Amino acid sequence: MPEPKQIFEEYYDKLLHKAQDDDMSLGLARSVRAYREGRARALERFPHTIALAEEVRRLKEDCVGRMDELVQKATASLEENGAQVYYAETGDDALKFIGEIIGSGKILVSGKTLTGEEIGLRHYVEGLGNEYWETDCAQLIQQLRKEKPMHYVYPSLHIRREQVAEILTDLLGKKIPPDIPTEIRTIRKFLRSKYFKADFGISGCNVMAADTGTIFLLESEGNIRMSTTVPPVHIALVGIEKIVSTLHDAFNVAEVVWRYAGFTVPLYVSMISGPSGTADIECTLIHGSSGPLELHVIFLDNGRSTLAKDPILKEALLCIKCGACLFECPVFELAAGYYGGHGYFGGLGAILTAYMSGGFEEAAPIAYTCLRCGRCTEVCPQSIDLSRLIPELRHRIVEMARS
Amino acid sequence: MKSTKLYTPPVFRIISMNIAKWGNPLGLKKSDCASWADGLQLPTKGKTILYTGCEYQMTAYIRPLAEVLKRMKFRDTLFSAFSGLQTVGEKIGVDLMKGYTKVASSESETYNRLLRMAALTLKRLGIDFAYLDGELYSGALLYEYGLFDELEEQAKRIVNQFKGAGVTKIIALTPHSAEVFQQVYPRFISNFDFEVVPYISAVAEALKKLGTELSLPEPLTLTLHDPCHLARALKVTEEPREVIRTITNLDFREVALNKELTGCCGAPCETIFPELSELVAVKRAEELSATGAEVAATLCPFCHANLSKGVGLTGNKLRVADLIEIVYQALEVSNARA
Repeated sequence: MPEPKQIFEEYYDKLLHKAQDDDMSLGLARSVRAYREGRARALERFPHTIALAEEVRRLKEDCVGRMDELVQKATASLEENGAQVYYAETGDDALKFIGEIIGSGKILVSGKTLTGEEIGLRHYVEGLGNEYWETDCAQLIQQLRKEKPMHYVYPSLHIRREQVAEILTDLLGKKIPPDIPTEIRTIRKFLRSKYFKADFGISGCNVMAADTGTIFLLESEGNIRMSTTVPPVHIALVGIEKIVSTLHDAFNVAEVVWRYAGFTVPLYVSMISGPSGTADIECTLIHGSSGPLELHVIFLDNGRSTLAKDPILKEALLCIKCGACLFECPVFELAAGYYGGHGYFGGLGAILTAYMSGGFEEAAPIAYTCLRCGRCTEVCPQSIDLSRLIPELRHRIVEMARS
Repeated sequence: MKSTKLYTPPVFRIISMNIAKWGNPLGLKKSDCASWADGLQLPTKGKTILYTGCEYQMTAYIRPLAEVLKRMKFRDTLFSAFSGLQTVGEKIGVDLMKGYTKVASSESETYNRLLRMAALTLKRLGIDFAYLDGELYSGALLYEYGLFDELEEQAKRIVNQFKGAGVTKIIALTPHSAEVFQQVYPRFISNFDFEVVPYISAVAEALKKLGTELSLPEPLTLTLHDPCHLARALKVTEEPREVIRTITNLDFREVALNKELTGCCGAPCETIFPELSELVAVKRAEELSATGAEVAATLCPFCHANLSKGVGLTGNKLRVADLIEIVYQALEVSNARA
């Protein structure tokens, strides 16, 4: 582990280097413009989303105060539905559980999971001698580039089509032209060859209902459906702050997430509550029908309970990862996810990094990058008051620098 | 949570020591802070004060400080050498910068002139106010950095100073001080019971009462850069526009990202990540230039300085001004007519 000062310096060198990269700023400028237009259209067509977002904030505030109880409730529901449930206190615990389920020499396909990024899931699983494929187009691009994702919803928003063509040409050993439809078809064909060979499908979770144990997964590509339906075993990694009380609440959260993520209407919403099953013969339920034979749900704490106890910073747990804030951040506009830790980005990402993914050493320079300009709060569906939270986080850093 | 000893940039130490010892982050002398008021014969005690917080006075020195920081990066040695001088009662900060860069006295004079205009505008508008002798800095930077203990100490010193001078109402010239007084102090100390009015709100109200239309010596196209803390923290977005609308020969052009969606000038990270600060400034300067206006007016000395730098780097011909000087000029014209 490098010294805190060295982490500070290396972070800033990289951030500055990327912020001065003209290629990246062109890709970013296009994405920021397109996202802002998309979000405006989505909110214009469905104006009730703004009031719904306020309701979601209130229900999430309530949930952050009783995460333990919600985990218990969700666990009972999932077990009732035939799923196997694990509780991981740390990222390492979660990796160990997953490693034991998987073993080695297997093929995995994965929907995008921020929680997986948080604990370094792909790296770990590959290290055990498995093949791991990201199936979200952007996430696959980042995997092939050996670069971390740059945004929660749009991991490769800084990459231009010409760069994608080069990556695919390298991957397949044949010339792929820099034409977006051709690139997407090429990725489609490549991934479809993987789904049916895969032993395991991995997913995260956008929101979970405790009363039914239902995992909500939002997407437009269909890759999450494929990854969670085709392989015989589905493993879902769920951060415990994602659990809400009821199915109804979960719907409300889901609608706010997709709209603020810039999708007017989500093309797919998957709701998964257990392994596949059928009661078609003598009304007797048997698990393992056309879909997965097994569903393993791993609940992850990894600092969330500690963060929930902080009277002020706990507000960060209200984040629903729509990424709206990042598109309004002046530093993100220059440096994308290089303004962030390995899993979480921007000023709010500094708090999540401190408690959940890299510790305070990694979070300190990110925390001091925030301009505290407050534009993120204006577009945040949860109205998270980052201008208030950042000095608080810095105060904790200052205290640790003194001790 | 692991309890590792973390790293914070050495500039934090310098700034907090200066505030404790000299009352302001850069160690400016009392006379450096107050010279703008020479000859204005402002009372030094009174119920209503104009509070400058030494911010405009400091601004001329921030650019040289950023240049020093750029050269030193995070290397502590130089800072440590200067920190040592503290023990023999020497100032650090300004002396440090003087050693490494030439502080343009003309820039210092620009900000002093703005302060005079701000005070004379209030006078013209019939607002009575005092300017405290030995005014202390609000501590906004201490809050930014997370130096809460030091902030609390400074807040106590300020309250004592205000109470000693019989203050009940503060006209806060800068958004940072207005925000810290209004929204942060009450969380740290219990007896901060002063009325806080952002400067532009006081001006807008007085102009409305006066009901007169103003005009500039020459017609002007102008855009407004809302300072973040004024527009978002303090929610003051209409007042500057009301003031602008009273000036008849002013063609006002809104920048695309305005009011509560205004863009940052980049100044906040200048003392930690100076190069990044410049890149943010350039971006905002380009947005403001795209309005085609001759002048971009703002209401914060740090926005003023950083946007000026940003415009300089883009090569645009936009002029960055403070709305203070636009209003002052317009009042001068109507005064001459009356």
